[in-house]
Amino acid sequence: MTLEHKVRGVDHTAFPTFDPAATVRFYRDVLGFPVVHSICAAGWGPENHPDFIHFFFDIGNDDRIAFFYYFGLEPVHAHERGDVYAGFGPEVPEFFVRSRHLAIHVDDQDDLLEYRRRLDDSAWPVEMQIQHETIESIYTHDPNGYMVEFTRAMRPVTPQEDLDANLTIDALLDVVAEPEPSFGKLLARKAELIVERAADWEVGASEATGNARAQV
Amino acid sequence: MTALYVLDVPENTAVAKVAAEAGAAVGKVGPYFEITADGPIVVDRRATGCRHAVWYSCVAGVAGGRIVQHDKDALRVDPA
Repeated sequence: MTLEHKVRGVDHTAFPTFDPAATVRFYRDVLGFPVVHSICAAGWGPENHPDFIHFFFDIGNDDRIAFFYYFGLEPVHAHERGDVYAGFGPEVPEFFVRSRHLAIHVDDQDDLLEYRRRLDDSAWPVEMQIQHETIESIYTHDPNGYMVEFTRAMRPVTPQEDLDANLTIDALLDVVAEPEPSFGKLLARKAELIVERAADWEVGASEATGNARAQV
Repeated sequence: MTALYVLDVPENTAVAKVAAEAGAAVGKVGPYFEITADGPIVVDRRATGCRHAVWYSCVAGVAGGRIVQHDKDALRVDPA
């Protein structure tokens, strides 16, 4: 039974900000993301909700990143690590603090380098440029401490990568259902699934149901 | 027998090639390279030319053995 895949990407993702001036400088003036929507809302309701401005920037593809600015709200934590939404003490490993991020897609390396130029000319220069397995990315943190990535594909994704992703997830679910999951156990379980299911796999008969990429 | 599975995508082909040059047998199971040996399987990273992100994510599965080394120098799978 296949569930029809009817969603159409990110409508918006929303974050709080305590510095709307820097946020607008970063997204509108440095990156050139148009302001496409905003809501001026008087506070109401049972929780003493403050008055707020909810404002949106176009991140391409009609998708949007949005912010809440609450009048009179003071920062909710005093940690130096993390972002304005969530702070972390020294006991939290750095890789964990740096895990959550928004990645914005660009078409090619020229466009990636164009955004690199815009950031490098600003108060928020690129912190890393990395070629991953099949994508190349640049990273910075916005004025609120949120990590923002720009990324481009170095080649199209192949259908067999969809098969591999599905075998990985099935192996992962099997391994985490048992005590003490480990990478070694996952690779052993995945080898079993490869032997069971990959031999008969054909392009176009992918298990990544609803994925148009797998139908080619 | 030790078996190492590697997905056949452009970034990974050198892994199978270097394993074969080191004496392992390389076949296919669907879109995966199946690299097998009676003893250990050893792949020299520098010989593959893989950049780190590719190198450290190239293994799809391991049967009949376990990874005892996967670092900047080599990938080694020893029989169980």
